[in-house]
Amino acid sequence: MDNVNVGRHISGQFNEDLERVINHVMQMGGLVSKQVSDALQAVSETDEALAKHVLSQDYHINNFEVSIDDECTRIIAKRQPAAGDLRLIMAIVKTITDLERIGDEAEKIANVALESFSSKQKDLLLNLDNLGRLVLDVLQKTLDAFTRMDFDAAIKTHGADAKIDREYEALMRQLMTYMMEDPRSIPQIMSVIWSARALERIGDRCQNICEYIIYFVKGKVVRHTTAEDMKKL
Amino acid sequence: MITVTPRVQPDSQPIIDLNNLSPDQVALNINKLNLYYAEKQALQDITMSIPKGQVTAFIGPSGCGKSTLLRCINRMNDLVDHCRIEGEINLHGENIYNKNVDVAQLRRKVGMVFQRPNPFPKTIYENVVYGLRIMGENNRRVLDVAAEKALRSAALWNEVKDRLNESALGLSGGQQQRLVIARAIAIQPEVLLLDEPTSALDPISTLVIEELINDLKKKFTVVIVTHNMQQAARVSDQTAFMYMGELIEYSDTNTLFTTPVKKKTEDYITGRYG
Repeated sequence: MDNVNVGRHISGQFNEDLERVINHVMQMGGLVSKQVSDALQAVSETDEALAKHVLSQDYHINNFEVSIDDECTRIIAKRQPAAGDLRLIMAIVKTITDLERIGDEAEKIANVALESFSSKQKDLLLNLDNLGRLVLDVLQKTLDAFTRMDFDAAIKTHGADAKIDREYEALMRQLMTYMMEDPRSIPQIMSVIWSARALERIGDRCQNICEYIIYFVKGKVVRHTTAEDMKKL
Repeated sequence: MITVTPRVQPDSQPIIDLNNLSPDQVALNINKLNLYYAEKQALQDITMSIPKGQVTAFIGPSGCGKSTLLRCINRMNDLVDHCRIEGEINLHGENIYNKNVDVAQLRRKVGMVFQRPNPFPKTIYENVVYGLRIMGENNRRVLDVAAEKALRSAALWNEVKDRLNESALGLSGGQQQRLVIARAIAIQPEVLLLDEPTSALDPISTLVIEELINDLKKKFTVVIVTHNMQQAARVSDQTAFMYMGELIEYSDTNTLFTTPVKKKTEDYITGRYG
């Protein structure tokens, strides 16, 4: 976190507190991105064991969310952070909420892998691959931008969500065609749609995290603004 | 689709633009103020407008000149040897450093409260009406009314109303400080200067004084110097950050404590100095 500059507080204890909470967010981010990639792998390889593993790991993410929340509350109570420190804490509190929800989406995707698909329908799942790769890439870039608190990277990654949306739309159209062709496959296709939806939501949550990064760096709230407004910063 | 960019709802009180105050919003106008203690320059080109009916806080590390600046506002530095002042401080458009300004008159308009409570060794009542007596007011009824009003404004009336004729030195530190504030406001000044008014008090007395400051700004313009940044954040509407005799950043408190513009300000308020 070069830009974060947590060091140099006169209070070494405060430095330690901030460094610890930032480390925990990074660990949480790493776990979340592993969960998403495992879930996607479980789906594309119909690996039941891996899917179950994903489901069994989610509580770690929840634990992280609760304990980071607690750490932030303690920092606010004891240190009364101001300016950049305050914005950092606010950004962290919001980021972990989104990370936790991304974890939940990974769980949803893993559940799909556990459903029984006939061999013909298995091909449907492959359609998720493209979208999945794209989302995973955006998630990793987001976490990367967060680690470095990199304003430019955050803006760029924020914009990448449009690509995810386009891919999602295309996939929807394709899946709808399948449904019309063979109504008996609708239940399975619905499962695929839910997974696609989960992936698309992950993209949105990454966008939120980028907005928190921008808030931390510039002190400006960019939620619900247009891309043009954001570029003016 | 409707795209409306959301805005942060403003506070109940209107935001004022410090760089563009209309003349009736300004209480004090400090213009290119330089101050030297012998060879050493303690204030460098300070220019700022302090708005009326608001609380303005000066913060900064020790020796940054915040107390010096505060003391300039009622000419307390006149008493310091080898102290030379250039520039002007305008109260109602008149420079208080003009040769024909009567300092006693000025201090009637600009009251001051110090770090340590300094009640006179007299009764509580006599402390409060001291200023009025000096101004020649001796009508007991007028003094009674003024004393009650001042003590009520200073949130002290209920605690001392039955012991007005006891010595002021018997009050607690927090009560003494409020008594001193009552003494300062009894003569109805326009500006009240507070030089670290709570640094000798316990946290609860501090909160009482802070609450009092919030009430006082309805009637007076308050300027406060404080070492306690959280206190500046809590009580003030405007905050000025000073460093090495310079005014580094001056803006509304909400902005200064969340998104300061200058790196020095950020470092100071986040505790990164050293």
